[in-house]
Amino acid sequence: MLEALWNNVDYIASVVLFCIGLYIIIAKNNLIKKFLGLNIMETAVFSFIIALGVIDGGDAPIMGAGAQAPFSSPVPQALVLTGIVVAVSTTALALSLIIRIYRQCGTIEADELREME
Amino acid sequence: MAAWPHWLPLVVFAPLLGAVLTPIVSLRSRHVAPWWALAVMSVTSVAALFLVLRVASEGPFSYLPGGWQPPYGIELRFDEFSAVISVICLIGWLAVLYSLRYIEWLREVPKERIPYYYALLLLNLGGMIGFVVTGDLFNLFVFLEILSLSAYALVAFSGEHIAEMAAFKYLLMGAISSLLVLFSVGIIFGITGSLNMADVATRIGQLDSAAPAALALAMLAIGFMVKAALFPVHIWLPDAHAIAPSPISAVLSGLVVKVGIIGLIRVYQIYYTSGVLDLHTLNQVLVWLGAISIVMGAFFAIFQDDIKLMLAYSTISNVGYIVMGLGLSTNFSVIGGSVHVFNHALIKATLFLAAGALIYRTGYRTLTDLRGIGRSMPLTCIAISIGAISIVGIPPTAGFLCKWYIALGAFEADQPFFGFALIFGALFIFIYYIRMVNAFYFQAPVHPEILEVTEAPLSMLAPTLFLASLCLIMGILGRIPLAFIEPAAARLLAPLGG
Repeated sequence: MLEALWNNVDYIASVVLFCIGLYIIIAKNNLIKKFLGLNIMETAVFSFIIALGVIDGGDAPIMGAGAQAPFSSPVPQALVLTGIVVAVSTTALALSLIIRIYRQCGTIEADELREME
Repeated sequence: MAAWPHWLPLVVFAPLLGAVLTPIVSLRSRHVAPWWALAVMSVTSVAALFLVLRVASEGPFSYLPGGWQPPYGIELRFDEFSAVISVICLIGWLAVLYSLRYIEWLREVPKERIPYYYALLLLNLGGMIGFVVTGDLFNLFVFLEILSLSAYALVAFSGEHIAEMAAFKYLLMGAISSLLVLFSVGIIFGITGSLNMADVATRIGQLDSAAPAALALAMLAIGFMVKAALFPVHIWLPDAHAIAPSPISAVLSGLVVKVGIIGLIRVYQIYYTSGVLDLHTLNQVLVWLGAISIVMGAFFAIFQDDIKLMLAYSTISNVGYIVMGLGLSTNFSVIGGSVHVFNHALIKATLFLAAGALIYRTGYRTLTDLRGIGRSMPLTCIAISIGAISIVGIPPTAGFLCKWYIALGAFEADQPFFGFALIFGALFIFIYYIRMVNAFYFQAPVHPEILEVTEAPLSMLAPTLFLASLCLIMGILGRIPLAFIEPAAARLLAPLGG
């Protein structure tokens, strides 16, 4: 049992990170903090996908002299690269929304905003 | 023409490319932007028409960009469910036409930003089209993000004082659901080593342990439920859909929530075919949540005075109908649910565009303020009435057939309780639309000046009336979409032995 847990420690870590992020989104009051929680969740998912492709002692899959199996899978890295682009655009959009909320309402605390509505 | 193989990539990339080019072509004059968007959507619509004709004559087909064979290359796949791009193109085209006057009229929107509005709208439509035609799980996520991000930005576009707050709420829920989808795409890639949907379906069937596949299924289902705004996770929808500019409300309510439904259908296609899991539990959950959504959505709608908020709640209850149809998983109910994806898009777009026309002319948006408007804007109010009759499901309109089929499915599945829930929901819906029609035609106006207003300009009136007439036509010619979707539903349920 412990052995199995230890072998999969990278997956467990990303699930724990994912849950921490979700907790922050639900529990924190400040919009920026909520958004940081979302970023932690994103990082958790990315690290999970990267961990999928890693093989112990695996080499970069570049053919040529000295190329030797086993190779790490390059696909997860391509996926995560795309995922990071998406995460950056989400971050940009969310921060600009927060700026506009602050300009209009003078606060970014969720409970104070709820009272204003 | 219909057999030209490159229509499929064209239909995805024309709107995306058009969106990127919109700010450039409108550098000289911002008035170019709407016409450019209209031209792009026209090209896309022609391509969509040929694709739908082709799938009707020869069944599902694929396109391999670059000629790489799946599962190594990516695949665009067009089946009968993908035919929903016809409604996406139609409503998208009409929404662009409608925006021509409507967006100029919004005082809070700076005039020089208007080209970006059209760019975002094209991006949103392109993302949706890509989502429904892709055959690759990761591309599914990418297109999901394209359409969601543009939708968040479009909600904030109206500039009303709680618009940003509504958009942020939408963004938080939407981003969490997208991450759940990405997480489960990762799990599926980890256990099968493939991202192509057809390939994944066969490989999942050969696994030793079903537990990770079940985890991925649960996360995909929850992720798409948030996008579809099913009952416990619907809280982002009412504000976002009511605050957005009216043409955007039509696109969001008619089309964007349907993306969650199409996502669920794709998940079912993978898991039914693989046969690795018994989906009975998920089906039960969907049927119950669907039934609760129908009743709760309609119940909340009764108490709304704001016309757009009322329509937004009614979307929740209609998504409930579709999801219940899928969850019952009988031949009738799946056909009814899938056709309701098309028909509800038409009906809800009619209602939101007509409501937008009323707001545009009078500046009021509550039923109390709008009393008596039926006398001064008769055509718009006829469109609203047709939409209302359709959404209640009174024959011979578009809403009747789907709800009839879903109810038949409930009895066929030997769960008559849900048939009654459906009829009960329709009764609630009837109450609030009667309220609306009553306010427009039979109550004395609160504001006398409301009798002075005239009909909305032609670029707004024509799309509304066109969609309203389609609501009637789709009801009378209802046999055609039902027959069209039947083979797809049969193929979806075939592994169940049904």
